[in-house]
Amino acid sequence: MNYPIWDVPFFGGGLVIAAIAILHVFVSQFAVGGGLFLPIVERKAYSENDSELLAYVKRHSKFFLLITIVWGAVTGVGIWFSIGLVNPAATSTLIHSFVWGWALEWDFFVLEIASILIYYYTWDKVDRKTHMFFGWVYFAAAWISLAIITGILSFMLTPGKWLETHKFWDGFLNPTYLPSVLVRTGVSFALAGLYAYVTLSVLPSSDFKERAVKYVSKWFLPASFLIAGAGIWYVAMIPAFPRTLTMGGAPMLTTWASLSVILSILIFVFVYFGPYKHSRSFTLPWAILLLLLGLGATTVTEFTREGARKPYVIYGYMYSNSILESQKYDLYTKGVLSTAKWVKDKQVNPAEMKAVGREIFRLECQSCHTINGYNGIKSVVAGWDSTYTDAILRNLDVLKGYMPPFMGTDAERAALVTYLTSLNPLRRTLALEFRTENALEAGRTVFDRFCFRCHTVDGYNAMRTKVAGYTYSQLDSLLQHLPELRGDMPPFPGNENERHALATWLASLNQAK
Amino acid sequence: MLDKLVIPDPDPIPLPAPFWLLKVLLLLTFFLHVVPMNFLLGGGFITAVSDFLGRKRNDQNYLSLANSMGQMLPVIVAATITLGIAPLLFIQVLYGQFFYTSSVLMAVPWISVILILIIAYYGLYYYAFRWQQLQGKRLAVIWISALLFMLISFIYTNNLVLMLTPQKWMEMYQTSKLGMHLNLSDPTVIPRWLHFLVASFAVAGLLVVIHGLIRMKSDASYGRFAVKYGAGWFIIATVAQFAVGVWFLVSLPNDVMMLFLGANGLATTLLVVGIFFALLGIVLLLLATVAQKPKVPAIFGMASIIVTIISMIIMRDIVRSAYLAKTGVNVASYPVSLPVSIFVLFVLFLVIAVGLVLVMLIRLRRGARVSQPA
Repeated sequence: MNYPIWDVPFFGGGLVIAAIAILHVFVSQFAVGGGLFLPIVERKAYSENDSELLAYVKRHSKFFLLITIVWGAVTGVGIWFSIGLVNPAATSTLIHSFVWGWALEWDFFVLEIASILIYYYTWDKVDRKTHMFFGWVYFAAAWISLAIITGILSFMLTPGKWLETHKFWDGFLNPTYLPSVLVRTGVSFALAGLYAYVTLSVLPSSDFKERAVKYVSKWFLPASFLIAGAGIWYVAMIPAFPRTLTMGGAPMLTTWASLSVILSILIFVFVYFGPYKHSRSFTLPWAILLLLLGLGATTVTEFTREGARKPYVIYGYMYSNSILESQKYDLYTKGVLSTAKWVKDKQVNPAEMKAVGREIFRLECQSCHTINGYNGIKSVVAGWDSTYTDAILRNLDVLKGYMPPFMGTDAERAALVTYLTSLNPLRRTLALEFRTENALEAGRTVFDRFCFRCHTVDGYNAMRTKVAGYTYSQLDSLLQHLPELRGDMPPFPGNENERHALATWLASLNQAK
Repeated sequence: MLDKLVIPDPDPIPLPAPFWLLKVLLLLTFFLHVVPMNFLLGGGFITAVSDFLGRKRNDQNYLSLANSMGQMLPVIVAATITLGIAPLLFIQVLYGQFFYTSSVLMAVPWISVILILIIAYYGLYYYAFRWQQLQGKRLAVIWISALLFMLISFIYTNNLVLMLTPQKWMEMYQTSKLGMHLNLSDPTVIPRWLHFLVASFAVAGLLVVIHGLIRMKSDASYGRFAVKYGAGWFIIATVAQFAVGVWFLVSLPNDVMMLFLGANGLATTLLVVGIFFALLGIVLLLLATVAQKPKVPAIFGMASIIVTIISMIIMRDIVRSAYLAKTGVNVASYPVSLPVSIFVLFVLFLVIAVGLVLVMLIRLRRGARVSQPA
């Protein structure tokens, strides 16, 4: 509303943030766990007088430096750049509410960068105790900056009392803060292990390699306890609605959430049967496979965390499309065009309905949807006519709990309907391969297309119970009178063949059980 | 005309500290950022040139200098980035309405800074760690990195000028929403960028001087070479700056330019102070190149350039304020709500962090001395 909107064709702005943020998190959490790994292994090498281990940790510290200080630090700045471009309003909120939190984090970031450089450049130049001291300073600074950033990150999903008070500590020490810190700490230990495997895997098979790989595998034990324990705590602390979204409420999110658990477990299984069991013959492809599994787990977990926040970017305060909760009712009466700063026409021009609709799409939908690409709207609305589209738009937040309501005047909604229905060539049959020879299969397809937005078969708003006792001909006739049946149901948008097919399939639900 | 300006509303959340405090922090941290940034921007170029000269003339002095600079540059990048985060934070607090908007208009070049920076940064590490092995290919690596850093500075200048001119935004946005704009139609962009770029050659020249002074103790002839060579870069760049600076000054809108030519006492004084200390710096560095003991004039020369840099930073802020005053937005009038406890924590840990860095550096020096062979 307040800021111009950057059009990112095909990918969408959200993916730009996601790509940078995930690659950052995957390295920056390694920067924390790996920061503990370095001085601990160094101490182990000294106390066991293990020169091979010492030589290894020196080499590993170079790898660590090149990965964290370049990739980690620069992508961290990259997150700032990308969120400022894609969601300036939310970025501004985070900056204004937490500027001294960010500034405090910066204190530790300065310390972190200085100490890792000093640590790396002073191998063999200072005594052992001093060198380990540099390493410990680094780890402390790195972990504290994780603990600070996590306060602000977790705030976005569970702002807690901040919503009323707007006070720093109310937002920072929010309900999911502590479990988030613990989960991320656990992940950082696991990542320390995954990255250490990479530098170990390239060594030739030897007693040392066996010993070291076995040792590194032990890092996954505390990691697994922290991740699982704090993970359960975290899920218990998030509000009921986002929790249900990840557990069946939203198919995509549920997939991410389950993948997150599955991939995490797979990592531990692969660690056990790979490096732990076959320490001596452990090779680079294995290490890379594990690293990719780790990247996969990070990706789906961050997607789940971000997705669970829908329809908000800051829960209960600002919607994903940067509209403030407090602005909502104004938009219904005054309209979105007259509120938005960066539109040419402040009112709906009836001669330009499609162009106006495109503008409204940009303002209200584009933060999550592209047109043709990621989460593309074109394929979602294929086959929808105006009446059906309008009915969906009127009930967006009810039909799709993770979507914001459409906020605007009736004329603005009509413009958006015009735009959305213009995306696909108008036709009375489904775009999907519609095969009349199998009416049951076709009926299911029609159901998935038109009814599945609100109804499931046996779950929420279950269709099976609704059609209990009805015959084919009764159902076929009811389908022609849907709005009369229920005020908020749109008329059946398909053609006759599709209606017959749907009625056939609905009637079959009665016999199936 | 003015009432047609489209500028985003200020954030509904109050400023998290008084305007003056945020301004002081912005300028202070910008100073901390600008010094290593200059070392990097000019230093990359100087390294590339001396490596080129060293190979061409087979001159060990140039090669040693390029090697030493090459070892320093990655650490300087780390300092530049780390110290750049704070001003980036404070500019968003104070001028987010302007900064976010101009960034969105040039989103693609702006976000590409991240990718360019990663490539250029790894290039420097590649150069430093593979100095011997790379041989001839080394030049290509350092040139690419040096030019990429210049490209980044150019993108920055475009954005930081664009944020000052809201009258252009709406038309740019309506022309294209893909974020592919630059700000080349603005007559101040090129001279402003050159002004910064040439300044970075001068300041990086001083880094070479510092390097030379340190090395004089162990290798007098090389140290003296580096002092002379660095001072040369400083002097030539600073002389050139008189032309580039004038170009930049006259490229400014008339009312802004006049601030520095009498209309505003502080602005005019700062300009005079900045020029005076730059001239003084030239004289002192010239002395350093001929003096038996170059250390004293060189250090005084650097001190006077620090005065110039500080006055230039304040002048830069006066330019920004003058532009923004014309938009009718007055950030100083925004409501303020300072969360005291966390602010105190920030200051406290800033002191602790800086203290710890100093402790580590002292222990490093002591350790290095101990481990040196007698």
